[in-house]
Amino acid sequence: MDILQVKNLKKKFGKFMAVNNISFSLKEGEILGLLGPNGAGKTTTIQMLLRVLMPTSGEVKYFNKSLTDNREEILEKVNFSSTYTQLPWLLTVAENLKFISYLYQIKNRSQRIKKIIETFRLKRLMKEQMKDLSSGEVTRVNLAKAFINYPKILLLDEPTASLDPETADYIRKFLIKERNKFNVSIIWTSHNMAEVEEVCDRVVFINHGKIIADDTPERLAKTIEICHVALNVPDGLKRTIEICQNKKVIYKLEGRNIVVDLKEKEIPEFLRELMDRGVFYDQISIEKPTLEDYFLQVAPNESKNEV
Amino acid sequence: MKFNRIYAMVLRFFYLFRHSYDRIGDAFYWPTIDLLIWGLTSSYFRTFAPNAPQIILIILSGHMFWLIVWRAQYEITVNLLEELWNKNMINIFVSPIKFSEWALSFVIVGIIKAAMSFPFTMLVVYFAYKINIIFFSWYFIPIIFLMFMTGWWVGFFVSGLILRFGTKVQTLAWTFAWVIGPFAAIYYPISVLPAWAQKISAFVPASYVFEGTREIINTGSTDPSKFYLSFVINLIYLILSILFLRSSFKKVLNKGLVKVY
Repeated sequence: MDILQVKNLKKKFGKFMAVNNISFSLKEGEILGLLGPNGAGKTTTIQMLLRVLMPTSGEVKYFNKSLTDNREEILEKVNFSSTYTQLPWLLTVAENLKFISYLYQIKNRSQRIKKIIETFRLKRLMKEQMKDLSSGEVTRVNLAKAFINYPKILLLDEPTASLDPETADYIRKFLIKERNKFNVSIIWTSHNMAEVEEVCDRVVFINHGKIIADDTPERLAKTIEICHVALNVPDGLKRTIEICQNKKVIYKLEGRNIVVDLKEKEIPEFLRELMDRGVFYDQISIEKPTLEDYFLQVAPNESKNEV
Repeated sequence: MKFNRIYAMVLRFFYLFRHSYDRIGDAFYWPTIDLLIWGLTSSYFRTFAPNAPQIILIILSGHMFWLIVWRAQYEITVNLLEELWNKNMINIFVSPIKFSEWALSFVIVGIIKAAMSFPFTMLVVYFAYKINIIFFSWYFIPIIFLMFMTGWWVGFFVSGLILRFGTKVQTLAWTFAWVIGPFAAIYYPISVLPAWAQKISAFVPASYVFEGTREIINTGSTDPSKFYLSFVINLIYLILSILFLRSSFKKVLNKGLVKVY
């Protein structure tokens, strides 16, 4: 069942079309990755889904109800967290969670806050002012805030950015567990492709304000045919390079390591040729295409700009 | 309107008050310093004008009532600025809170804080100059209410400007009320103003109230029509300022709340 439906959503800032006629849906219990390079229109889309930015045209429906006509009722069941927004920095963590909790109709408010504190490991930080927290701690408080109203739909803008790997992993697992337990639906934006592959059931890829792909991460990755074949070549590196140049394939060199981009079906023939030319390699790894490869292929210029 | 959401915002600003020395200073320290300076100055002036024994009461009561205008507008404009400085607007408006609930919470915070700082200033004036503001008797209630109304429309109007133009016009939160000040005739009668300024004064609702307070001090009563007129002008400005603030908020929603700073 579709819990969120977005139809022909457009946003124009002056002459610039930030979001151009996008339509997609979110199922109950689904985790949907919203991907795209910087400036693609992801954040603009999320803001329109929360009605903190008015669309130029189009329709957003949650639970089959129009967001325009049922804002209050819908936002009681939706929440948002972003690494790039802040909570009042002079207030303590406890004060922030308490005042935010009153923005929603929550039964057993103090019980809920207590549970959230445990879940996001915030007990030690409760009396700390937001200004004194590390960026990772701020992210955890932002996430805790997003869970305070038992949301049915969560919009998370780079939820694990600035977290250390251990905490990021904990948060990912927690979010998947919450989804499994309470059927929470999540829209997740991230630049960490490995994370998106791990967490998201489906990916909507936006570029220049338009949806250019809407599929599972696996299927999107499979549209890329190129694998990365990495070899450590103690003897015959020159011959290996010659083979690559003759075949006109892309390769990268790092010391005696060479990474060659090949289609999957070309790999056996390439390896046989190395053997025929007497090339000796003592290590080999073959990396199948990932979502990152897809990202780099569909948005190469923007990705370079980000770097 | 939902009480819990208004309470949330009131709570947010009282937590801030607890942690911010700036805010505590604004509520207690500056009013005290102002009253001491104005009180001492008017005591000195009285030595030159022995026939005007009420001079201290006129100046101090004028100042104290103006502090209510100041407090009411300040709580609206500076609390809005707090949200912009903290980049917290998005956290507030991704919740179900309505614009009207948000605006009302500022008004309530202003009333509560005025209820805290006004009695404090009354005590300061009483102990420093033996002046009891309760002297105004039942007139006290409409005077206070009309001062609040002036503070609210000034606050809403300035907030509308801040929403439209961002923090680059934030200085208006501290200065705009003082633009009205000279025409409100806080410390002197309207008749001392030049003719052109008297015309402007006629459109400043607080001017009728201050004329009334001086009349009460001098004669013990005033013509209530002054207060009625002040109420009507205040009400018109209040409605216009709320409409302006609402239209500014809609304009901001077209740009995106995260882009206001």
